[in-house]
Amino acid sequence: MKVPLSWLNDYITLAAPAADIARRLTFSGMELEGLTTLGASADGIIVAEVRAVEKHPQADKLSVCRVFDGQNEVQVVCGAPNVAAGGKYPFAPIGAVLLGGELKIKKAKLRGVESFGMLCSAAELGLSDDHSGLMTLDPSAVPGVPMAELLGPPDSVLELEITPNRPDCLSMIGVARELSALYGTPLRKPDPEVTETGGDAAAEITVEVEQRSDCPRYTARILHQVRVGPSPAWMKDRLEKAGIRSINNVVDITNYVLLETGHPLHAFDACRLQGGKIQVRRAQPGERLTTLDGIERELDPNMLVIADAEKPVALAGVMGGAGSEIQDDTTDILLESATFDPALVRYASRSFQLFTDSSYRFERGVNAETVEWASRRAAQLLIELAGASLARGVVDIRTPPAPLRRITLRLDRVRTLLGLQLPDKQIIAILRSIELTAGEPDNGVGDVVIPDFRFDLEREVDLIEEVARLHGLEHIPPAPSATPPIPGADDTPVKQVAALRDACVDFGLQEIVTYSLVAESLLNGFDPDDAPRRIALPRPVTVDQAILRTALTPQIVETLGRNRARQVQQAAVFELGKVYHLGASEAPHQETRRLAIGLMGRPAHRGVWQRKPPTREEMFDWIKGLWERLAGRQRLPEWSLAPDRIPFLETGYGFRLSIEGRACGWIGLIAPGPRKEWRLHDPIAVLEVDAAPLCHRPPPRITYQPIPAYPSVGRDVAVIADAALTHETLVATMQKSGPPELENIQLFDIFMGEAVGTGKRSLAYALTYRSANRTLTDDEVNGYHETIKTTLKKELNVEIREG
Amino acid sequence: MQLSEISTLMEKAVGEAGAAPDAAGLESVRIQYLGRNGMVQAIMQALKDAPPEQRKDYGQAANQFKQAVQAAIDARRAELDNQPAAPAAGFDYTLPGSWPGSGRKHPITHIIDRSIEIFRGIGFVVAEGPDIEDEFHNFDALNTPKIHPSRDPQDTFYLASGHLLRTHTSPVQIRYMEQHPPPVRVIAPGRAYRRDTTDATHSASFHQIEGLYVDRKVSLANLKADVGYYLSRLMEREVEIRMRPHFFPFTEPSVELDFSCHVCGGKGCRVCKNSGWIEIAGAGMVDPNVFKAAGYDPEAVTGYAFGLGVERLAMILYGIPDIRLLYENDQRFLNQF
Repeated sequence: MKVPLSWLNDYITLAAPAADIARRLTFSGMELEGLTTLGASADGIIVAEVRAVEKHPQADKLSVCRVFDGQNEVQVVCGAPNVAAGGKYPFAPIGAVLLGGELKIKKAKLRGVESFGMLCSAAELGLSDDHSGLMTLDPSAVPGVPMAELLGPPDSVLELEITPNRPDCLSMIGVARELSALYGTPLRKPDPEVTETGGDAAAEITVEVEQRSDCPRYTARILHQVRVGPSPAWMKDRLEKAGIRSINNVVDITNYVLLETGHPLHAFDACRLQGGKIQVRRAQPGERLTTLDGIERELDPNMLVIADAEKPVALAGVMGGAGSEIQDDTTDILLESATFDPALVRYASRSFQLFTDSSYRFERGVNAETVEWASRRAAQLLIELAGASLARGVVDIRTPPAPLRRITLRLDRVRTLLGLQLPDKQIIAILRSIELTAGEPDNGVGDVVIPDFRFDLEREVDLIEEVARLHGLEHIPPAPSATPPIPGADDTPVKQVAALRDACVDFGLQEIVTYSLVAESLLNGFDPDDAPRRIALPRPVTVDQAILRTALTPQIVETLGRNRARQVQQAAVFELGKVYHLGASEAPHQETRRLAIGLMGRPAHRGVWQRKPPTREEMFDWIKGLWERLAGRQRLPEWSLAPDRIPFLETGYGFRLSIEGRACGWIGLIAPGPRKEWRLHDPIAVLEVDAAPLCHRPPPRITYQPIPAYPSVGRDVAVIADAALTHETLVATMQKSGPPELENIQLFDIFMGEAVGTGKRSLAYALTYRSANRTLTDDEVNGYHETIKTTLKKELNVEIREG
Repeated sequence: MQLSEISTLMEKAVGEAGAAPDAAGLESVRIQYLGRNGMVQAIMQALKDAPPEQRKDYGQAANQFKQAVQAAIDARRAELDNQPAAPAAGFDYTLPGSWPGSGRKHPITHIIDRSIEIFRGIGFVVAEGPDIEDEFHNFDALNTPKIHPSRDPQDTFYLASGHLLRTHTSPVQIRYMEQHPPPVRVIAPGRAYRRDTTDATHSASFHQIEGLYVDRKVSLANLKADVGYYLSRLMEREVEIRMRPHFFPFTEPSVELDFSCHVCGGKGCRVCKNSGWIEIAGAGMVDPNVFKAAGYDPEAVTGYAFGLGVERLAMILYGIPDIRLLYENDQRFLNQF
C-alpha cells in the first residue's frame, strides 16, 4: 500500500524524517517495500532550455551548452550523455544550493571553458538515485519557472507491505494509528458532521438483506443535486500518489474515503436503480452482470450481488455494474457502505480473476462498527466538493454488534515466551498505546479489552506478539537454549540414507539433484506403459513440470545428454531421490526413495585419454563393478540379475535387479531410442534401485574372526567351454564340488579366438585352498583339485586345459 | 703378450672404466678386465710364460695393470654414486597419472549436510515427511484459515486425489509431534512446491530446512541465539541476528530473520545490496493452535519453529546468481563444490 506522508499529516503530527518512519514501521511489522521522494527542496533551481550543444574542445565527455534561463542565454559545461539541443532540464544558476547545502553553484572553469551554472540530474535534486543523466522535463515546461512550482512541495511516499492479519492497517488512518503508538503522538481521527436536508432516505429506498451472514451490515445514504465534475487538485494529487487514477469527483471521493478509512464504498446512480429497492442476495443460476470494466459475466449462486428490484447492479464487494455507473449527468446517488462475508467476496474475485482495492479489503475483513462513519465522511466530501444535498437519515440493516472481546493476559507468560524481563507496567503501557483497554494487573494477570477494529487479537498469544513487536524485537537478548539430549530422539534412518550417499561419492560418483516434477514427454520417451501409475498435476505451471517423476533414470540420461551437448566427455553421476506413483486403494500415493547411477564416456580415469569410444561390454563392466562394490559396502546379503525386457534398456543389455528375491530395480545400457534423443552416440550405462534395501538394515553385528594361521595353497584351472556357459555357473559348480577348504576362486584370464575354436571361450581361475587348523599337504590339495576338474568336465562338458 | 700390449690394454681399460655410463656398464668393464675370466688372466699367463729375466718387468706391469684399472673403476664408481638417480630410458615420469575418480555432493546436499551437522551439535535430530501431503498437515493443523491465500490453487499444487504437494516443510512439525511426546528438537530438510514460474530466484520445486524446538520454557530469545549460532557456523563468521515482526498463521509472534552480511560484516556491499543485512528465514513461536492440532497441551509447553530456504542459502554462501544452475547439473558447475 502506498502512503504519502503529507496525507498522514492530517491525522498525526510527525517531526521524524521519512527514513526513520519507514524504519520504525518495518521493525514493528509493516515492511517498507519502497520509498519515493517527490518534489524537492529545489530552492533557486529553475527550468531551462538548452538551445545549442557543442563538443568541448579539450574533453571528449564534456559538452558546451547555450542555456536559456527564461531571460538570458548563458554558457554551461555539462558532462551528461543525454544533453540535447532543444531539451528542457532543471538548471542551477550561480548561487543556487543543492543537496541540502552540500553543493553551492559557483562560476567555474572546466578544462579551460567557463561555465555559469549546472544542469541537474534527478539525483542532484534529491528525487531519486538516478545519476545516469540529466532529468528530462516535459517539453511544455516554461524556461525560468522555479522547479519547486513544477514539482510541488516535497513529499515522501512509503510503500508498505501489510500482512494479511492486519486489515486495520489498510488505510491512512490505520497506518497513522500505528505510528501514534510507535511515536507516542496523539491520533486525530476525523469525526465528520453533515447537514441533512430534504426528505427521508428511507422513503426513497428500501434495503433487503436476504441472508444476514452474507452481509452483516449494509448502510445506504441518498444524495441529490450532485454535480459530477473534476476533483480538486489536492484530492487528485493524493490519489495519484497513492496509485489511483482520478476519474470524477464522485468516484474519487469513494476511493479517497476507502484509502483514508479502509472502508470500500460504492456510489450508484440512484436514477438508474429500478424500483427504489436494494436487495443483497445470492445470484441466480445463469444471471448476468456487466461490470464497470465492460465485461459481461455469468454469475452463480455462490456469488453475492447487490440488485435493484429487477437485476444485479453490482458484484458485492468486488465491482459495481456498468448500468448504474456514475456518469457526467448523474444527479442522484445511492452511497453504499457495508460489510460482506469475506469468503463470498473471495470466491467471486477469484472466479473472475478480478482483484480490486475493494475486494482486497473485504477479503481480509472490514470493521462493521465504522461502516456508517465512513459513509458519513464520504457524504461530507460529496456535499463539500460536489455540491450534493444529503437526504435525512441512513438506511442501516445490520446484525447487532458483538460485545467487545476480552482477553486474560498472564504477564509472566509474556516474559517466558519472549525470554525478556519486561516489567508489568511497561507491558500494560504498550497495550494501551494501541487503544487496548487494560486495567491494572491483579496477581500477575491483566484483563484486556480489544477494540472492534482489531479482529486479529483473539488470544493471549496475540497480545504477547503486540508487546514483542512494539517493544522492539531488537531488545530481545539472544539466549542459547539448554541442549541436553532428548531421550528417544533417534534419526538413524536419515543417517543410513546419508551413508549410502557417502558410499556413492566415495566410489567416484558425482551427485546430481534434479526436479521432482517432469514433462510427460520425458517419461513417455522412456516408458510409455507406466502412464496409468503416474501422478499428474491437474494445474501445472508449465508442461516441463507437469508430472511427478516415476523413475530417476530419465533425468539421469537427460543430465548426461545436457552435459554431452556442452562438450563434457566423461561423467559418472548419481541421484538419491524420491519417485512417486499412484498407489493401491488404501494409500492413494506412494513415495519411494531410489538410487540411480548413470555413466558416460570411459570407465577408467586414465592419465592418457582414450579416444576410442567404450564398448557395450566395457560400460556394463563399469556399472556392474560399481553395483557390486556398493552392494558389498551396504552389506546386501543377496541379490541377483536376470535378463529382462525393459523398455528403455537395450535388448540383451537390460537386466532386472532383485534383492532378496524382490525385483526392485534395473541395470543395463540405455536403448538407442532414448539415447539418440539426447544425441548420446556412445553407450550409456545406468542403474536404478530402491534405496531402502541398501539403507534400512539393522547395523551389522561384527564378530572378530581370527586371521588365518596356516598357509594357503594355490592351484589354477583353465577351461574351454561353450561361450554361452556363464562364469556364474562355472563358479557355482566349482564351489559345489570343492571342499570346505576351498577359500577363494578368482578369474584371471578370459580368451576367445581361433586357438580355442569358434563359439568357445577359455576361462582361467586361480583357486585358493586353506585349512583353519593345519597346513594342507600337496596330496590333499591335488585330490581336491582333481575332484573339481572332474566335476566340471562331467557336469558342464567343458574341456580342461592342462599345462 | 708383449709388455707394450699390456700398457696399451691398461690405457684402454682405464678409458672404458672412466666412460662407463652407469653401474651396470662399469661392472661389465670390471668383469672384462679384472674378472675371473677377464683380460687380467691373459696377463698372468703372459707373466708365467715370460722368460725369467723378464719376469720382474712382467710382474710390475701386471701389478700396475690391476692397480690402475681397479683405481679407475673405483673412481668411476664414486663418480656414478654421486650422480643423481636418473629414471631408466623409456620411463617418462612426466606423463599424466591415473586416478580412481573423485565424487562430490551436490551443493544442495552440502548445505543440508552442513546444516544437519551444526544442528546435531546443539541437540537436534533429523526428521522427514512425505512430499505428497494432505490438507490437514499442510494447512489445517498449521492454523491456516480456510480462506488463506496460500491455499489457493493458484499458489498450491493440488492433486486429483485432493492431496497436495506440500508448500513448505512445516507439516513435518505436526507429523513429528503426533509421534513423539515433548520435548522435541528436530530439523526436517526436504522438498517443497509452489506454483511459481521459474526464474533466476524462483522455482516451482525447491528445498527447505524446517526447525522445531518444543520444551517447557522455550523463548524467542532462544530462537535468536540458536539460529545465530547456526548461521555463524554455516557462514564461517560470527554474524548478528535481527528479527522483524511478520505474520505466519502457524507462529505467534512471527518474525522474519535477517543476519548481518557474512561478506562485509554489516558495512554494506554488493551481496547484501548495501543494507548490511540478508533476509534468511521465517520463524516464530509455535502457535497454541498448532500444539492443539498435534495433540500437545499449549499451556504445558512453548516452542520455536523456523524455515530456511536451502537454494537461497546455497546462492548466498557460494555466490550463485541463478537458482536454475542448481538444477542443470552441469559437471563444470558441480565440480566446483
